[in-house]
Amino acid sequence: MQRISRREFVKRTAVTGAAFTSFPALLAACGESTGANKVSKLVLAAVQGNEDGPLKKVVGNYKSQTGIEVQIVEFPYDSLFSKLVTTFQANDSSYDLCMMDDPWMPKFGTMGALQPLDSSFGFTRDSDIPTVVYDVGTWPPPHGPVPPTEQSKAQHLYGITIVGNVEMFMYRSDKSSAPANWDAVLANAKQFNAANFYGYVIRGKATNPVSSDSLPILWSFGGNIFDDTWKVQLDSADSITAVDFLTRKLKQYAEPGAANFDAAERSQAMATGKAYQSTVWPGEITGIVEDPTVSQVKGKVAYIPIPQGPSGKGLGMMGNWLLGIPKGSHNGSAAADFIKWMLKTENMRNYVAQGGVPIRKSILNDASLAAANPYFKALAASFDAVPNWRPRTDQWGAVETSYGTAMNAAVAGQLTPQAAMQQAASQIRATMKGAGYPS
Amino acid sequence: MSRLVAELPAPTGTKPAGTGRRRRSRQERLAYTILLPALGTVFVIVTIPFVLAIWQSITADDGTLVGFRNYTRALSNPLFYDALRATGLYALIVLPTEILLGLGFALLVHRAVKRAGLRATLYVLAVLPLVVPPVAVGVVARLIYAPGYGVLNYVLQSVGITHSEIQWLSDPLLAMGSVASVDIWQWTPFVYLVLFAGLQTVPKESVEAAQVDGATWWTQFRYIELYYLRPLFLLILFFRMADVLRVFDHVFILTGGGPGTATQLLSLYIYRIEFRFFDGGQAAALAVLVLVAISILYSLVTRALPLERA
Amino acid sequence: MRGRRAAIGVRLILIVAGLGVAAFLYAFPLYWLIATSLKSKAELYQSITLFPRHPTLEPYFSVLVDRGFWVLLKNSVIVCAATVLVTLAVGLVITYPITRLSVPPRLRVGVLNWALSLRFLPPVAVVVPYFAIVRTLQIYNQPIALIGIYSLFNLPFAIWMLKGFLAEIPLELEEAALVDGANRWTSFRRVLLPLAAPGLMAAATIVFTFAWSEFLFALILTATPASQTFPVGVQGLVTQFEIIWNDMAASGVIAMSVPLVLMVVARKYLVAGLTFGVIREK
Repeated sequence: MQRISRREFVKRTAVTGAAFTSFPALLAACGESTGANKVSKLVLAAVQGNEDGPLKKVVGNYKSQTGIEVQIVEFPYDSLFSKLVTTFQANDSSYDLCMMDDPWMPKFGTMGALQPLDSSFGFTRDSDIPTVVYDVGTWPPPHGPVPPTEQSKAQHLYGITIVGNVEMFMYRSDKSSAPANWDAVLANAKQFNAANFYGYVIRGKATNPVSSDSLPILWSFGGNIFDDTWKVQLDSADSITAVDFLTRKLKQYAEPGAANFDAAERSQAMATGKAYQSTVWPGEITGIVEDPTVSQVKGKVAYIPIPQGPSGKGLGMMGNWLLGIPKGSHNGSAAADFIKWMLKTENMRNYVAQGGVPIRKSILNDASLAAANPYFKALAASFDAVPNWRPRTDQWGAVETSYGTAMNAAVAGQLTPQAAMQQAASQIRATMKGAGYPS
Repeated sequence: MSRLVAELPAPTGTKPAGTGRRRRSRQERLAYTILLPALGTVFVIVTIPFVLAIWQSITADDGTLVGFRNYTRALSNPLFYDALRATGLYALIVLPTEILLGLGFALLVHRAVKRAGLRATLYVLAVLPLVVPPVAVGVVARLIYAPGYGVLNYVLQSVGITHSEIQWLSDPLLAMGSVASVDIWQWTPFVYLVLFAGLQTVPKESVEAAQVDGATWWTQFRYIELYYLRPLFLLILFFRMADVLRVFDHVFILTGGGPGTATQLLSLYIYRIEFRFFDGGQAAALAVLVLVAISILYSLVTRALPLERA
Repeated sequence: MRGRRAAIGVRLILIVAGLGVAAFLYAFPLYWLIATSLKSKAELYQSITLFPRHPTLEPYFSVLVDRGFWVLLKNSVIVCAATVLVTLAVGLVITYPITRLSVPPRLRVGVLNWALSLRFLPPVAVVVPYFAIVRTLQIYNQPIALIGIYSLFNLPFAIWMLKGFLAEIPLELEEAALVDGANRWTSFRRVLLPLAAPGLMAAATIVFTFAWSEFLFALILTATPASQTFPVGVQGLVTQFEIIWNDMAASGVIAMSVPLVLMVVARKYLVAGLTFGVIREK
């Protein structure tokens, strides 16, 4: 018997089902016309929020310059991922462009869901853009461990960053100077902690939030999730020390209810002058902490790269949003033209004026923009220091869920740092083994 | 009290109308003519995904048959049992509360409120919580319970009942209670609406007769109204149970399943297996297990409380 | 005697107090929703105010116009109205024969059990297969896909509700009409439907609310605002780093007010549905 794949089976059964029901006649008249060569509209699936706000404001210019409308369809963060995966699995042509969070790249790369930008549309590396930005959009990854199934694939560029997010650190510069390392962070947290003023804010909500918040600390302490051969390192001494530092030492001076704090609560606490320091993403800076209509601390907060840990390194975390072109799109080259347009310096300047987060070093280091965007210098420095990315595996969703659940239990005090990391490590080992990684 | 039951009008609808054999068979034929196309269509549309889900639960991603391996993987994951425990606790809190409260309000309004205008107003008020999108309900709940800016702590502190913040969402038990309270707020009205509608089928004559006989508030309910509401209780119980297994938004927004796995309900867990782990086989196995478990429960309950009246 | 009256008095006070607490618990979240929707972003980032200090309708404008959600709202109304009609029609087609015509009890119980079991399969397990079916039928990103799925999933509820009502209407009433020369269809329309009004209304209401709030299928089976529904847009107001509180609250109020307006417009039928209904003549 011929073996059929599950997707093929789903498709065939669906066809059979369709034949049974009396719908088809009613619905025959809806084939999309793809005939005309001149593309007049591109559909872009985007994430709703600070990440796509500036993009929405500049697509009007694109239309007036080229006559091509870019329709932006917005999705919530979590749903965009599910939506894109199901769309790609079906090789559907609804979207010509999609926004992707960088930890999704491995999944899409492994699926082969995107059109290669370098070989198909002639994208080359621009020296004004940090290398790591191109690397994060390349699959298989140019450095670090490569998943076993991907090692024989040829490297291609599949995504171009349009939101150059890197996780940074913020503190109240009106109260003290910049902390040089995490020990200074702890000392400041102790010194400034007071009634109704948190010495440190932990973004501790379960899964993704606490994972994002803790990884830079984990890395800066020399801990890691995987080593270069995909061996799980979460229960190593360095990893546990890092978790202990966050969930025990810093937590003494952190806000009550830390296990339930997300970014919304953190930036609110910071903006209302109730907190001294925390990690931070550019979206929180532009959206809340530096927004003059809501912030009571504008001008009193400084942004720096992630402080150094005992390892002597401070490692920020990338959270780039990329633009890619789905395999299913019939308008690949028109979509590629739009990405190229976005990358042009003058267009990126305009994009920055609308609140966009740039990736060009010349813009990040432009003195005339520094005053309006106080975090640009720190972002440029973070790129220079080469931030870490989350492990390049299509199992990342599972890994993050296991890690983020255990971390949350540690922040809540339900598990000791050691027990939490042992739990996470054993779950992640099982996941990776099941996915065919060396164990 | 058995007299009251005896006085009930014979259940009419379920009794064959004609006595002649020919007549019955003609009616039966008409029944099948109407029923079969509708049932057939529905059957086909629901069966395809159902078969697909079962197929998915016994195959690997590449379509190879793997027998019960997905099931053993699902059942050997300790997190599954955490989720099961959380879901059980959640159901034990919300189901009885919603059913008792909804029943209480339905009886009260049915008996005490006679003015049509007021009844309509109460009906509309009951609909309101049901039409707020679950995500908005979750966000309002967050504005009430959240650390830092939650209005509940604010009110409790300004009235002087408490002096420090209560951690509604990061203590395991309180978090479960908070999450459950949102369910109770949104879904008690559903129970009310269904039971209130059901009470309209209770014939006035038997109620009046019972009142002449001196039936109390309780006996009137126990021996007359309950009799007519029984199928609806079954409907509510299993509908709400099925819904508890798909609760998502307000839990996701309030706690994200935390602290730890304290509020990671089965729905959240299966969602993560499907869309975070992309382990379609295991997710399908879990879904089939859920289906089988409720079906068994359902057949046990209907055996104890038969659907058809004797 | 006096003791008994006092006991009744105490009970009354307890009941009134209980109702008062219940009313407060019911109303406060709704109040907080409305209050939040009237606050500006600036006010939300100050200390808590129980009443909006500078009420503004800006969030409503932002949701409906700036974000363009009025298109999604329109889609939602169309999808939900059609779902209610289809569900009730199919529900009647299935319940009429099993309650009004003589069929073996096993068939009746079988249909009811099967209908309820449709609800037991977690949707997250079937959404991807339905996505495949909908694409094969070429109705992806069209409202009809959602209408079909919602009708299907709400059918169990409609069948159960309608069954209860149809079964309680004495067969004699219908037979009287048949004897008077009406055919089955006329007697169904003239006699049965009016008597089943409370059941139809309750079923319609609940089916509407289920369809109105559905998110997962709406997300997966649509692609653009041409067919997306309101909940899909609303969901996005919880962004990765921020919850847009006031816009979210305004969306909640808007989602409430559409059914509210519909019910006020149809209040004549609402009142009729609550007061008429099953009559018994013995």
